[in-house]
Amino acid sequence: MIPGKIARFVQERANVAGMASRDADLVPHQHRVSGWRLGKDGKTITAYLPALFAEHLLEDLESNGQVALSLEEYPAHETYQFKGVFVRQRAIEAEDRALVAAQRERFVHDMLPLYPEAPVDLIRGFIVEPDLAVEFEVQEIYLQTPGPGAGARLVPPAEK
Amino acid sequence: MEQSTTFDRLPDAIRPVLDNGIPAGMATCSAAGVPNMTVVSQVYYVDTQHVAVSFQFFNKTVRNIRENPRAEVAVHDPFGQVDWILELQFVRSEKEGPIFEAMDIQIEAIASATGMSGIFKLMAADIYRVRSCRRIEYGGRAAEPA
Repeated sequence: MIPGKIARFVQERANVAGMASRDADLVPHQHRVSGWRLGKDGKTITAYLPALFAEHLLEDLESNGQVALSLEEYPAHETYQFKGVFVRQRAIEAEDRALVAAQRERFVHDMLPLYPEAPVDLIRGFIVEPDLAVEFEVQEIYLQTPGPGAGARLVPPAEK
Repeated sequence: MEQSTTFDRLPDAIRPVLDNGIPAGMATCSAAGVPNMTVVSQVYYVDTQHVAVSFQFFNKTVRNIRENPRAEVAVHDPFGQVDWILELQFVRSEKEGPIFEAMDIQIEAIASATGMSGIFKLMAADIYRVRSCRRIEYGGRAAEPA
C-alpha cells in the first residue's frame, strides 16, 4: 500500500515523471511520461505515455514485467521512485486525457517562474499528448530526493 | 509534426542541448534485472562517440552500472521541442583531469542556480561510449489548455 503522504505527493505535487523498463538482455530503456494516476486500491499506478517515447516498452513489459517510475516535484527536487510489476496496458480514454491536461497545467504553473520569458505554449508542449496507459503494481518505493538519504527504501521499510 | 532520426555518433546539433542545464533522465538495470530510473544533472560532451555523466551520489545508478554497463539517457530541448535519446555503454570513471574539472565547475553553477549548493557535488565523471543517438521531434502533440 502506498503511504498517504506519498499518495498525496503523487496526486497533488509531482510534476515530471520518467519510466524505465528493460529487455531480455538487461538493456534498460527510458520513457518520458505525460501523466499518472494512483489506483483506487492504493497499490497500483497508471502511467500515460506518448507512443513516440514508448519504443521497446510493451515488448519489455511483456517479456519480464519489470518497471520503475520516478516522480519528481521540480524545482523542489522532492522525488520518489516506484518499482513494481506490469499489470496491463490499454489505449488512452477521455478521463485520462482530462487528468493529463490538469497535470500539464500544474507543470506550466510550476515552470513559469523558472522560465518567465518562455512562451507558455512551449512549456505546455513539453507534456506531450499520451497514447498509451500502462498500469503496474507498486512493490517498492524509494526516496530519490537528492541528498544523503537518497536511495533509501521506504516501502517496505528497509531492515535496520 | 513528429520525426525520429537515429545517428551512430553525436551530431553538433546536440551540443547546445547538453549545455542547457535541464536535467536528463537516465535508465539503468541491475544484474538481477530490476530497472532504475533517475535524474542526472549533467551529460557532458566528450567527443562524437563519448559523453560523461555526473556521478554525484553513491546510489543505485552507480551500483547498477558497475554490474551492468548499459544505460539509456534522454536529454531535453523543450524550446526546440526535441528530445535526444542516447544509448550508452559505461567505459570508465574519472575523479580528476580536464573532463572532471570542467564538469565540477558546471555542477557548482547548476547547484547554485537551483538552490542545491552543498548537496550537488561531483564525485566522478563517468565516461560512456555512445552506441546510438536518436533525435525525436515532438512538436504539435500538446493538447489545448485544460
